[in-house]
Amino acid sequence: MSGGGRGRCPDCGCAELVEDSHYAQSQLVCAECGCVVSEGLLTTTFADEGNLREVTYSRSTGENERVSHSQQRGLRRVRDLCRVLQLPSTFEDTAVSYYQRAFQHPSLHAARLQKKEVLVGCCVLVTCRQHNWPLTMGTICTLLYANLELFSGTYLQIVKVLGLDVPALSLADLVKTYCSSFKLFQVSPSVSVKFVEDKEKMVSRTLQLVELASETWLVTGRHPVPVITAAAYLAWRSLQPGGRLTCSLSRFCKLAGVDLPHPAHLRVQELLAILLRMAGQLAWLRILNLDKQTVVKHIGDLLQHRCILLRQAFRDEAEEEEGDGEEAGSSTLGTLEKKRPASSPPPLLPPCMLRPPKRPCPTPADSSITGDEDISDSEIEQYLRTPREIRDFQRAQASSQAVPCHPAPS
Amino acid sequence: MDQNNSLPPYAQGLASPQGAMTPGIPIFSPMMPYGTGLTPQPVQSTSSLSILEEQQRQQQQQQQQQQQQQAAQQSTSQQATQGTSGQTPQLFHSQTLTTAPLPGTTPLYPSPMTPMTPITPATPASESSGIVPQLQNIVSTVNLGCKLDLKTIALRARNAEYNPKRFAAVIMRIREPRTTALIFSSGKMVCTGAKSEEQSRLAARKYARVVQKLGFPAKFLDFKIQNMVGSCDVKFPIRLEGLVLTHQQFSSYEPELFPGLIYRMIKPRIVLLIFVSGKVVLTGAKVRAEIYEAFENIYPILKGFRKTT
Repeated sequence: MSGGGRGRCPDCGCAELVEDSHYAQSQLVCAECGCVVSEGLLTTTFADEGNLREVTYSRSTGENERVSHSQQRGLRRVRDLCRVLQLPSTFEDTAVSYYQRAFQHPSLHAARLQKKEVLVGCCVLVTCRQHNWPLTMGTICTLLYANLELFSGTYLQIVKVLGLDVPALSLADLVKTYCSSFKLFQVSPSVSVKFVEDKEKMVSRTLQLVELASETWLVTGRHPVPVITAAAYLAWRSLQPGGRLTCSLSRFCKLAGVDLPHPAHLRVQELLAILLRMAGQLAWLRILNLDKQTVVKHIGDLLQHRCILLRQAFRDEAEEEEGDGEEAGSSTLGTLEKKRPASSPPPLLPPCMLRPPKRPCPTPADSSITGDEDISDSEIEQYLRTPREIRDFQRAQASSQAVPCHPAPS
Repeated sequence: MDQNNSLPPYAQGLASPQGAMTPGIPIFSPMMPYGTGLTPQPVQSTSSLSILEEQQRQQQQQQQQQQQQQAAQQSTSQQATQGTSGQTPQLFHSQTLTTAPLPGTTPLYPSPMTPMTPITPATPASESSGIVPQLQNIVSTVNLGCKLDLKTIALRARNAEYNPKRFAAVIMRIREPRTTALIFSSGKMVCTGAKSEEQSRLAARKYARVVQKLGFPAKFLDFKIQNMVGSCDVKFPIRLEGLVLTHQQFSSYEPELFPGLIYRMIKPRIVLLIFVSGKVVLTGAKVRAEIYEAFENIYPILKGFRKTT
């Protein structure tokens, strides 16, 4: 209601002009002396709006206040996605607010519709991550029929642009959700009695195996779901080895009703290798000469003592270096052999460091190039075509372009 | 829900995880929902020395600099490229002398360098790593200063390819130094693939000479290095999950998308890709010193994540 921009009162010169209406006719009145400055005003947009007259949409700020169709559609999609995923209602509001903020941002405002569609999924994912709700990107991509590459690009962009703090996927919750989706907990036409398992036992053993994997460098840098599939498979087999040792990983996934992720085979092998090493530290298991099949029977025992077994089975490289640096006396960890011969335990390293390098790293050439050396003409001429070559090339080009011009015989 | 059956790879159950909301006993180290508190920027971590120690070091450095300056001036060109690992402390040291006079580089390495007479430092984190990142790729641009006819270039040069439907530039390659250039009709050129700044400049000059010999009045204006990529190996495994927890503002680690951690360092403005095997890729530098500085900043942080516990 302030008339700050409307000029000054001609009588007293004060700038405090107030809009007032006298019998529905708007007037501009000075607040000090009461003199009526004007009534029935000049047409400016401010004046128009102030006097409740129409202003064209393009000259108004209505664009900022109304929500565009595209944005409305996006907000509806966000809510639908939250309902499909059965998320709590608080998540919906957070996701909607993220979508609104992202939509306003200049870099995303002019993005293609495909990207805005994917943006819906990104906002929902960020919300779930912040509430520690285990939702994988794979799930969202399949629900939205989106390309994972586009999704990843949009997700990283929105995290940077909005400056969001997104915590990592909580592995424990993911294990629980994933295992709960297995169809192994009740007898059914496809699942016979010997394959049915108690849910609590299976989830807890899978959790322990996943924790073992993360301690032994099998989880860092890898996609989490195949690790969980592998751990669930081993846990399920170990709970009743009698009837299940012969069941393969793909058959297990079919029984459970989940898709078999391709890396799960490798994860199973890596986990079994770790378990075999640990089994080598227990005296009564060393005698049995376990292999990859038979070690499954003893997973329960191995998991019970996993902390000690891990420490004994693998020497910790960092600890060893410190130990060598100090006095050359007896080692502090008495059980570990610190000598170099073959009896020393292998280092605990991620599998990518244990494999030998595929090709030798090329040593850099010790060149003393200054950048300003002379360039010989002959060197440059090797890159130029002779006139004869040019003619041949032109002829070849002409003939290849002439061929499709011939009309097809009917 | 029937939708569960049709979900392709890596999709887990959609049933509302009742247990997931209240995880009970957190078996894994709990991921704090909204990140940890502020952590100091990487640069500050290297200056963890006490003031006295730093003064001591600076005195020693001044003595060594006088000795080494003579040696450095004799062999500047050699020092400019990578040396063997046995010489890296020296190489590293003299590198600062050759790059110090360049405009725009602020006094580098206020953090300690390896002294000639080794003293046992009180805080091990202040040692220099002794590892020098190797440059893998240099991208530079130059303006040839005249309009070019790309069809003529593609016709008359052996090492050129030109497909206007795919990309509006000629792609030319030379064998020595092994590089690739994109030559545009406006006369601008991008040169990629060189392993050092000097090689990139020499390669760009060779491309300009080729274009000259093809009959265009090519010049060599505004040669500028746009990007440098380096890589190195710290030789120990790194707990990426721990690193992203403590350096949340700078790191982005999404194992579902990419196996490495993307660390955006603020000073110097470099992006590092850190992998679990200990290999580090540094990119985004305009000068070589930025890569070295970035690596020296990240090395103490990585060492902190070396142990498994």
